[in-house]
Amino acid sequence: MLKYVIRRILEAIPTLLGVTIISFILIHIVPGNPVRVLLGHHYTAERAAALSRSLGLNKPVWEQYFIWLGHILVGNFGYSYVYNKPVVQMILQALPHTLAIVVVAVLAAHLFAVFLGSVQAYFQDTVFDQVVTVINYFLYSMPSFWLGLLLVIFFAIDIRWFPSGQIINVNDPHPGFLDWLHHLILPVASLFLISVAGWARYMRSSMREALLQDYVRTARMKGAKEFRVVFVHALRNSVLPLVTMLGLSLPGMVAGALFVEEIFNYPGMGLLYWNSITNLDYPIIMAVTVFLGIVTVLGNLLADILYGIIDPRIRYR
Amino acid sequence: MASVLDVQSLSVEFQVNGRYLPAVTNVSLTIEQGETLGLVGESGCGKSVTSLAITRLLSKTARVNGKVLFSGPDPAQRNPVPSSGPEEVSARNVRERELLTVRDKDMQDIRGNEISMIFQEPMTSLNPVYKIGSQISETLLLHQNISPRQAFSQSLEMLKKVGISRPEQIMHQYPHQLSGGMRQRVMIAIAMACNPRLLIADEPTTALDVTIQAQILELMKGITRDFGTSLLLITHDLGVVAEMCNRVAVMYAGEIVEQGSVDEVFFNAKHPYTVGLMNAIPKFDATSKERLQPIEGNVPSIARMPKGCRFAPRCPHVMKQCVEQHPDLFEVENGHQSRCWLSVEGEA
Repeated sequence: MLKYVIRRILEAIPTLLGVTIISFILIHIVPGNPVRVLLGHHYTAERAAALSRSLGLNKPVWEQYFIWLGHILVGNFGYSYVYNKPVVQMILQALPHTLAIVVVAVLAAHLFAVFLGSVQAYFQDTVFDQVVTVINYFLYSMPSFWLGLLLVIFFAIDIRWFPSGQIINVNDPHPGFLDWLHHLILPVASLFLISVAGWARYMRSSMREALLQDYVRTARMKGAKEFRVVFVHALRNSVLPLVTMLGLSLPGMVAGALFVEEIFNYPGMGLLYWNSITNLDYPIIMAVTVFLGIVTVLGNLLADILYGIIDPRIRYR
Repeated sequence: MASVLDVQSLSVEFQVNGRYLPAVTNVSLTIEQGETLGLVGESGCGKSVTSLAITRLLSKTARVNGKVLFSGPDPAQRNPVPSSGPEEVSARNVRERELLTVRDKDMQDIRGNEISMIFQEPMTSLNPVYKIGSQISETLLLHQNISPRQAFSQSLEMLKKVGISRPEQIMHQYPHQLSGGMRQRVMIAIAMACNPRLLIADEPTTALDVTIQAQILELMKGITRDFGTSLLLITHDLGVVAEMCNRVAVMYAGEIVEQGSVDEVFFNAKHPYTVGLMNAIPKFDATSKERLQPIEGNVPSIARMPKGCRFAPRCPHVMKQCVEQHPDLFEVENGHQSRCWLSVEGEA
């Protein structure tokens, strides 16, 4: 098992390299120039050339890439052009906020989707199932930023239950854990509602199939109660596709938090990424890209390992 | 003493496109303590549906009518501490219940405990993600007030009884690591773990190799005899019936067409369908010129059942009466019944 994990991580290195090459090329293709962003509207050609030289942007793109690669291999991700702070420090500041949103939303959405999809499958084609299916379609087809805006308009502006943004109340001299939690609810709710809809649909079809299997009839033959039949016998067999999705959804959720963080002005990775893209802040864009690449690889690995734990027929060598 | 199982006029209909179509019609059968009853018929004749109706494992789209009387130990008088040996069932603590009307919860207490079932597909009947040991223990833990440790050791005992070699190892293995024959042995261990009064085996050997079939049949014969368990054996194989059963009921198109002791039915078959089945068995001592005689025609679709005798369209002895009037099960001899107009005069 350990051998397998190590092999998978080694195999991920070429993938990650490819990701960095492609994103490096892409951000240089994007129209605009960081120098102009930094200098504003009024600047002389000499100043621009000097800044370009000091940032190393006057060199050919492939050379810039290898310089950058050489730096990150020794852990040097550089400084943000705009904020002039170390990139690593900025990421470490933003990451916990994103993790809070993503981890809570992913776990809650997954657990709830597994439960909801199972119950739907058990009561398939009843009024309950149909009503939930319609709601799911509705949520599933809704863009996350729009849902976020709706939540802000309703819960933050109209009925004022929750704050419309930020991580803590800036006017409160002693913001506590509850305050932080209070600010967390709306962003988490938007991510939760978006993801639960799709996952519940997967779970429903997976559970539907499982409930038709012979071993489910065997479980009933043993005298197991319906709850046990569904949540012990069928569940462990039908949850596999969702475990795969859990792993695959991690990077998507970090990136998906982008819109949510933008709407709620929540200073996490998404907002950092968003701002660095609009500012053409190359060092941050590249660092976050590498980070997302690593999360993707780890998410896949996590899914495969969980898969092997849940299904004994799968063993890794 | 009452029969272990007394099925009276059992009918099952399935809803198809808003219509109810009869899969099983007016089936009555009884099984005595320790007896083996064979239920024979070709695919689709309703024998599996009958067994699933008895255990109430049919889907909710099925409409079941009739009575299924099962006499098992009275739950009110059941000894809370499980007895070690085969349970002594005396008339005093036996109670008869109608299975089609008991509450779901009571039915769950009966299934796996007093009535168990083995299915045709050993490859898919075990849950692929749980160890063999826990799948056997589960039945015990569901029905007996014992610790997981006790359940484990009792499960190990059951594995030994069903003739699994290296049982200690198998307890910790998963179904995909076992062969079909071993999995069917495990299914038998699960079904027999709580020492049920009735075991229903639905084509238990159909999916197995011929050599394994004989072993599994031998095992079922031995274990039901040792446990004093009654057996309802569903099969399409008359050879299996001859080997295993005391009595046999032949089903055709959802009905029982002939019923009686194995000897009576095999050597003195009355119903033309049974006779046809017998003629379709390959004989070991047949000369090269003797050919198998298949029954001409096909089973009627349940959407369009004949008004009279359901076998009439294929029957070599068909008469005018057969097409017009549906025959009852006529008593031919003591305990031997045949659903044929030719049997009514008792002379055919």
